[in-house]
Amino acid sequence: MEEIQRPELSAGEQSHLGPDETLALIEAQRGRAARSLYVDPALILGAWGVAWLIGFGAIYLAATGRLGTVMPTWLAGVIAGVLFAAATLVSLGEQVRRGRGVQGPSRRIAAMYGWSWLLAFVGLFALDLALGRQGLPSHLAPLLWTGSSLLAVGLLYLAGGMLWDDRLQYGLGVWVLITGAASVAAGVYGNFLVLSLAGGGGFLIAAVVTRIRGGRAERMRA
Amino acid sequence: MTGERALPNLDSVIHAQARLRVTVALSVLPAGDKVTFPRLQELVGMTAGNLSTHLRKLEDAGYITITKAYQRRTPVTYVTLTRAGRRAFEDYIATLHDLLARPEQDSDDEDL
Repeated sequence: MEEIQRPELSAGEQSHLGPDETLALIEAQRGRAARSLYVDPALILGAWGVAWLIGFGAIYLAATGRLGTVMPTWLAGVIAGVLFAAATLVSLGEQVRRGRGVQGPSRRIAAMYGWSWLLAFVGLFALDLALGRQGLPSHLAPLLWTGSSLLAVGLLYLAGGMLWDDRLQYGLGVWVLITGAASVAAGVYGNFLVLSLAGGGGFLIAAVVTRIRGGRAERMRA
Repeated sequence: MTGERALPNLDSVIHAQARLRVTVALSVLPAGDKVTFPRLQELVGMTAGNLSTHLRKLEDAGYITITKAYQRRTPVTYVTLTRAGRRAFEDYIATLHDLLARPEQDSDDEDL
């Protein structure tokens, strides 16, 4: 089929593919680029789900003495701290890795969103520490810290849902707000159980739903 | 002659495998975003020389813009799909779907 060669094309560089093969090639290249450029929400949600489930679960078990002397409260706190730090690193790492070599509006949005998390938690620390200094009863401290943290996390997920037109993320934000309110209502130490099961479970379900929907590519294309 | 009819109006700038892949990779970026040359190279898996050649043709057609900036005194080349490039790519895909929708040309396509 010599006719297919266009004058502009030098020999060897024109496509010999039919329309269906060409569409398959497009899909393959699109998938390859999307896997490299888009963050994997299931990975991030999964990391936070594990951190909440095990971290808050450990604190609940240690604080209520259900583990006896096997796990002192301080050790549970360390485990939670390490898991939260790891989840933060996974989230940051994904953003940095995917955004490598890319510049423009989408990266500015991602950067502002990332800084929003830091700023929200700096504000939260300032507020909660000040209340503690001004005589907040110490048995209420866990409720204040977890309740205010979940309010911040929930609102930031709502914002993420709005920014990327992502209903799952928005829905998760709503769920985190409900979990936060429920945890405070549950009181010490039931709050940690609510955070572990409802909070961690919510993230893990969101991670699985994201994976099943199959693709960051389709979802993240705004 | 059948080959000529089989792929009518297919944009020849895009309809070369290498340039098609570059266009697809750039179209995955949100509109307005630009990507560095080495990162684009990674996305499409081409050699620098090969990629430059195809980028030049896409630039000549007005489908991409190539800009050079300095970051910490190092020159960085950025590539972005222009609005015309994005539209041309959408038209190209629409044409492919049109071709697939016309059954009498299927046999011709096999011969290509």
